[in-house]
Amino acid sequence: MSAPLIFAVPSKGRLMEQTADFLGSAGLKLRKVGHERGYRGEIEGMAGVEVAFVSASEIVAALNRGRAHLGVTGEDLVRENIANVEERVVFLKPLGFGRADVVVAVPKSWIDVDDVAGLEAAAAAFRRVHGRPMRVATKYLNLTRRFFTAQGLVDYRIVESLGATEGTPAAGTADLIVDITTTGATLAANGLKVLSDGVMLRSQANLVGSQVAAWTPETIKTRDELLNRLGIAAPAL
Amino acid sequence: MGAAAPANFEALEAQARTLLAVFIAAGHEAVAPPIIQPAGVFLDVLGEALRGRTYVFTDLNGEELCLRPDLTVPTCRLHLERTGGKNGQAHYCYNGPAFRFQPQGADAAHPREFRQAGIEAFGVADREDAEAGVLAIVLTALRQAGLRRWELKFGDLGLFDAVLDAADMPERWRRRLRHKLWRPEAFRAELKRLTTNPARSASALPAGLLEALDSAKPERAESLVAEHLDAAGIELIGLRSLEEIAEGLTAIAADAKAAPLSPASAAMIDGYLAITTAAPAVPDAVRALCATPSAGIEAALGAFTRRNTLLQDSGIDIDEVAFSGEFGRNVGYYTGFVFEVVAPALGPQSPVAGGGRYDSLLKAVGAAEDVPAVGGAIHTERLLAVVRGVRS
Repeated sequence: MSAPLIFAVPSKGRLMEQTADFLGSAGLKLRKVGHERGYRGEIEGMAGVEVAFVSASEIVAALNRGRAHLGVTGEDLVRENIANVEERVVFLKPLGFGRADVVVAVPKSWIDVDDVAGLEAAAAAFRRVHGRPMRVATKYLNLTRRFFTAQGLVDYRIVESLGATEGTPAAGTADLIVDITTTGATLAANGLKVLSDGVMLRSQANLVGSQVAAWTPETIKTRDELLNRLGIAAPAL
Repeated sequence: MGAAAPANFEALEAQARTLLAVFIAAGHEAVAPPIIQPAGVFLDVLGEALRGRTYVFTDLNGEELCLRPDLTVPTCRLHLERTGGKNGQAHYCYNGPAFRFQPQGADAAHPREFRQAGIEAFGVADREDAEAGVLAIVLTALRQAGLRRWELKFGDLGLFDAVLDAADMPERWRRRLRHKLWRPEAFRAELKRLTTNPARSASALPAGLLEALDSAKPERAESLVAEHLDAAGIELIGLRSLEEIAEGLTAIAADAKAAPLSPASAAMIDGYLAITTAAPAVPDAVRALCATPSAGIEAALGAFTRRNTLLQDSGIDIDEVAFSGEFGRNVGYYTGFVFEVVAPALGPQSPVAGGGRYDSLLKAVGAAEDVPAVGGAIHTERLLAVVRGVRS
């Protein structure tokens, strides 16, 4: 048999369940192969598909390197981790779950700062007073840099933060943050507010295709069959 | 073109010895600052945008380091470590590799690794003399290395500052324009905004507080902000103080009532940035922009003319130098005179040498106050390419 189409699916948590539900609603049943805690699976009745259960961020890497043909992962992770997104992957369908906004949030007590322009004015003054740029805590290094560059904000330093980012302004390790939020409740509880034009990305889980995977006539056929079952128009990959 | 090929390695080494000999003979001490530098200093000074062009990494102790993207900041740091930031003159020269990530992929014209040879002069009180001196030494070194033909380009951010000071507007607007100078589009947008509608969007801000602040004495401003935060149940978190927040609000309140920048002032600023002429014609071109040139403009033009005379005396044909009002705005740390040496064979996109005045850089890396500083650096691979081309 020829090489199968590799379909990378989140390996745990809500994202895995919701992906299974999404496939299930089209009558596609996701099943693990072999050991229950293993990482390989299949879709019932679709012999050409090999399912790989991996973490959401690992799925991005697999699509970017061409190790997976298709995958389900968050748009935020794709845009953060792939520099030339349009050349490497195609967003085939937003799936309506795994929603999260990537936002710029500052202390509520900064009542003089309501938008990015206000932040820029405050950042310039901050540098004059404190002799250093404002620190932005985030795990979204690239998204933040791209967004601030496009907005003309230059006086800032990124401090990489891999957890509890919303607590860094109160702790004094950062002055503002870029993070994901769904309801904004966690931000508010930490004394932070989102800038009025500070939503960098409205992210959700997407079905994503790799442009750099080996697309053989067989995998293309399998892909089109799969997309057809899911009611998605086949892309030009 | 790089140092990896044996023939180039030998030629680059020989060229470096020639360049350094000129620098040392002119009184510059040769130093070798570390290649690996703390990333924080660079990112604080040159901005987060540079991170995208710099090889930043974390070592096993978790320290954030970088491969130096230029040699000026490392030389400043070396100077501070040696002197503890005390005043006094120092003259340094160096030759060594610098590293830049090339987002479009590295090639001969955009190498990720290149060698810079250059000089820095710190703490020299006679500004024009220091500037003319640095440029003359760089040109001597280039000539010694075999460069026969070049074109010189000048700019002067001190002159720009004088023009900006002469335009009638609140100091906070000047600061904003100066801040945006490095980004031409943002600068143009800001200038347009100030001449049309300088009020910033304040719809989401507490109107009553803005109104009260507007008339309040500065010492009342802080307590007004504190009262507002208390009433709204907002906790003050982070490093920004009540004073800073009050200052931000006061500026917004003042902008809301300010008369727009006059078209004449905007035209003067635009006019300066649009100047392109031979260096000796600059004073007339600048004076033509203003009805009566301010004392500050006359002082800056005096310095400009004196520098030209000093350069002329050292054998540089000042009539041939191209001046551009805009030139120098693309590098964040220059504060005054800027120059570039272009070889016709490589064109203006790939200057063989460049430099200028950067009085605030030493303070930015840790000195107690601004230190007069002028420097110039040679892109040695480009120089070698031109010199070889000329010979063959």
